[in-house]
Amino acid sequence: MILSAESQKAVDAYLTALRKKLRPLPPEDANDIVEEIHAHILDKSAAMTAEGMVSTTLAALGTPDELAARYRTDELLKRAQVTRSPVVSLFSLARWATLSLIGLVAFVVSLAGYAVGALLVVIGLFKLIYPHNGGIFFDPRPGSHGIDGSGGFSFVSGGTWTHPGHEVFRLWLAPSCLALGALLVFLTFRLGTWCIRRFWRPSALREV
Amino acid sequence: MKEIPSPSVENSEKWEVQLRKGSLELAILAALWDGRLYGLEILRELESKSDLIVVEGTVYPLLNRLRALALVESEWVESDSGHPRKYYRLTPAGRQRALEMTRIWARFSARMNNLLAHLNEETRPVPEGRTPYDSLCRISESRRRLPHGPP
Repeated sequence: MILSAESQKAVDAYLTALRKKLRPLPPEDANDIVEEIHAHILDKSAAMTAEGMVSTTLAALGTPDELAARYRTDELLKRAQVTRSPVVSLFSLARWATLSLIGLVAFVVSLAGYAVGALLVVIGLFKLIYPHNGGIFFDPRPGSHGIDGSGGFSFVSGGTWTHPGHEVFRLWLAPSCLALGALLVFLTFRLGTWCIRRFWRPSALREV
Repeated sequence: MKEIPSPSVENSEKWEVQLRKGSLELAILAALWDGRLYGLEILRELESKSDLIVVEGTVYPLLNRLRALALVESEWVESDSGHPRKYYRLTPAGRQRALEMTRIWARFSARMNNLLAHLNEETRPVPEGRTPYDSLCRISESRRRLPHGPP
């Protein structure tokens, strides 16, 4: 089947865009999909006689983004079951969240877990870099008890900070926060992976 | 001015879409029962032998999922048209699944047809001289005759 230059250009542009959108998939799978769609376009166009049928064929396939999205979901969740990257796991959960309630719950819980874990790591790093500029304080004076008397981690830049309250954990705050934050991120990651393995099942009919 | 579809028509259309979606997996497995086919042949088979009009952009991802579920397997085959084609065939698990789904379909449709038998009379064209009122009377009469009919 020989296409006109204009049709060939449209097909090439479509396949290039599709290949780009299929990047999250393993290259051999993406190539396989693109080749199959290419063969379909050629077969379909050969079966039609009138000009402009390539554009009709491309329209029937949907945009490259829509078509790629149908392939990506299963692949993303399949990868999430074996990945060691929290980013891949979180992206997969975000995609799953658009498909089911359990996916949404898993995503929200994971997002909260990663956020708190990351915050603890940041606090630990600050304490490690600026040991005398911040900390968690307990002020025994009436009406001002709690963390730093203002309810949060306090940090000031420059100089040494003096606080009327009693500093809790002191230099242990850095390793504690780092360890706790890392543990929380790890447990959240494991929880996300477990949820996908336990509750996600590939459905042939989803998103059709 | 654009015509706004009535809620009942819209709901019927949605229901029909869901019904078609629900039968698509079985339809594809059935299309592959007699041997290997490539994507476009599957689409043509569905269009010619069933009432299913499948959007092309959905059939390939669906075939990919059926492959992931090990219900079909695929292979690239050189063709006379100048480019290779990806053919799909049923795996033993796919054949078993198709048979199982066909059994469920047959049982379900038989029972539904039984339930809908008296409604079919209602949807037939009304012969001359027979009003909808007559049809309703006939339905009521047939319901009274059922052994486990309404009290």
